[in-house]
Amino acid sequence: MSEALQSLFVLGLSHHKAPLAVRESFALKNGDLPKALRNLQSINGLLESMVLSTCNRLEVYGFAKDRDSMTRVGRHFCEANHFDPVLFEKHAYIHTNLSTLQHFVGVTAGLDSQMVGETDILNQVKSAYDLARTAGSTGPVLNRLFERGFHAAKKARTSTGISKGNVSVGNVCVDLAERIFGKLSRSRVLLIGSGEVAELAAQALLSRGAADITVTSRSQDNALALASNFGGAVLGYSDFLSHLSKFDIVISSTASKEIILNRECISGNLSSRRGRPLFLIDLAVPRDVAPEVDSLYNVFVYNLDDIARIANENLEHRRQEIEQAKLILDRQSWSIWLDVRRRCLIKSIAST
Amino acid sequence: MDFSEPRTWLWSAAILYLVTFLSGVIQARRGLAYPAFLLLALLAVGYFLQTRGLYLRGLSTHACPLGNGMERIQFIAWSFVLTYLIIRLIFKLQLLGLFTSGLAAVLSFISLFSKGFDPHYWNEPGYQKLFQNPWIELHASVAIFSYGVFALLTVVSAMYLVQHSALSAKKSSAFTNFLPSISQLEMAADKLLLTGVLFLTSSILVGSIHWFQDLNNVSFPKLFVTIAVWLLYLGLWLLHLTHRIFARKFAIACLWAFFLAMVSMSTVSGKKETEATFPQSLENQRL
Repeated sequence: MSEALQSLFVLGLSHHKAPLAVRESFALKNGDLPKALRNLQSINGLLESMVLSTCNRLEVYGFAKDRDSMTRVGRHFCEANHFDPVLFEKHAYIHTNLSTLQHFVGVTAGLDSQMVGETDILNQVKSAYDLARTAGSTGPVLNRLFERGFHAAKKARTSTGISKGNVSVGNVCVDLAERIFGKLSRSRVLLIGSGEVAELAAQALLSRGAADITVTSRSQDNALALASNFGGAVLGYSDFLSHLSKFDIVISSTASKEIILNRECISGNLSSRRGRPLFLIDLAVPRDVAPEVDSLYNVFVYNLDDIARIANENLEHRRQEIEQAKLILDRQSWSIWLDVRRRCLIKSIAST
Repeated sequence: MDFSEPRTWLWSAAILYLVTFLSGVIQARRGLAYPAFLLLALLAVGYFLQTRGLYLRGLSTHACPLGNGMERIQFIAWSFVLTYLIIRLIFKLQLLGLFTSGLAAVLSFISLFSKGFDPHYWNEPGYQKLFQNPWIELHASVAIFSYGVFALLTVVSAMYLVQHSALSAKKSSAFTNFLPSISQLEMAADKLLLTGVLFLTSSILVGSIHWFQDLNNVSFPKLFVTIAVWLLYLGLWLLHLTHRIFARKFAIACLWAFFLAMVSMSTVSGKKETEATFPQSLENQRL
């Protein structure tokens, strides 16, 4: 049995070595995964397996009887899923034994992700594991390794800052809005213009609880289309200035070459806000909000540069935490690995 | 270390508050949340040590220990931590416990650093207990409790200013992401201000029973400062209610109000020659 543990492996390709065009040709849809798992189960000598397929990686985790079975997996996997084996071999990597486990916890903790520390990957790995376990593809070895691996990844996340601070424009806007208003469920949002970045920011606000989104745009059709995406209302472009005081968060991203919100129109609306702060997010280039507005009392203005700078700082902070997270994961991987080896040894002694 | 000495306990509490604050700040700057139970446990232990210190001092003075500067500041810090422990569940503001431990440490160290701040007045010949009338004792403890609420208001205002200045400077850090929003902080400050004003009003009402019975017993500066502090906080609350002062200016005003209240403490607690004794009229009735 101890010999069998020499055949734990992960085989796959990811954004590190395979460009997007290559990854596209190795994409497996969610519906294809049960079939891919069944094919893997049919490989002689492969005892346990799991397939992880995300937009940035395709990986097969396996536990084989011997090294020969392990080497057969790549070829068989490509054949069964109609992948080009030569292209796969060119971009693929393979890790065995302890390295497999270290790779798994690194992926699960988000250290191996394109956006370091992103949290979606944990759910994606968990879903892949649930699918494999339900399909009967995993067994005692992979189950133990994965379940303990999830704990290790969680520990690395919570003990370091690798997942702290948002790195996308939309989420940075939400963070800032929450620092001003707290829960966003009672904040009213006005979207001026229908730029793509502003739409992303509004989507992020919606996903974090903002319930009241109104859209105004020079093009009524665009405003209606965008408002229907959010289940929001439409405000006539000629009217929005007179209603400005009713909104807490204003996201502006028009294509206008002139200033839309100047100091006079904002200060004229402040008195009826009864002390509530106003958050202006200017995502337009050239800017929609006059720079002087920033000096108004209780008004916070952030433009694209300000938001991008915060996103970059957060990313840098995450990078600084990588070494600490790696240290934790290495320690945890060793502990899991020794535990699994010890169990295998006890089993093999008991069976002789 | 002499554990029969109140100052030993008070020093221990001050150091624990400081350690809690510093470790929490380091943790928050790294982007990691301070475990809530640990923070609460550390504050509770600090509070116990401080209570023990004040209790031992009370045994020496045979009264509520409010007789010198050290005792008064310690008592405010004590009631302020107590206020936090009571109301932390109502406001649920992140890092409030951390800032509470910070201000508790600052107040404790200020009160303990100079021994001259802590004269052993109870050893002086002819020492009389500060309070021989239970109504006055009630008045003083409610007043001190209101100061505790105002101290917590100061903490919330300081948190507001930290978050506000980071937002104005367009800075984002793990620490500011942990801080509550400025809207939440302003709302909490408003409620604390009202709570403090209500307690101070109650204290003045209780005290006025005593004052009206024997006007000669109350020093004019004490009466003036007490009413001034009360008017200051009441005015601040009214100005905020009517939106004449809000946001950053409101937070700064709260800090100044507490500073002035602290400075005026010596006057408010000052004892007139005959004040500690029972009012003559009541004394006669008792006899």
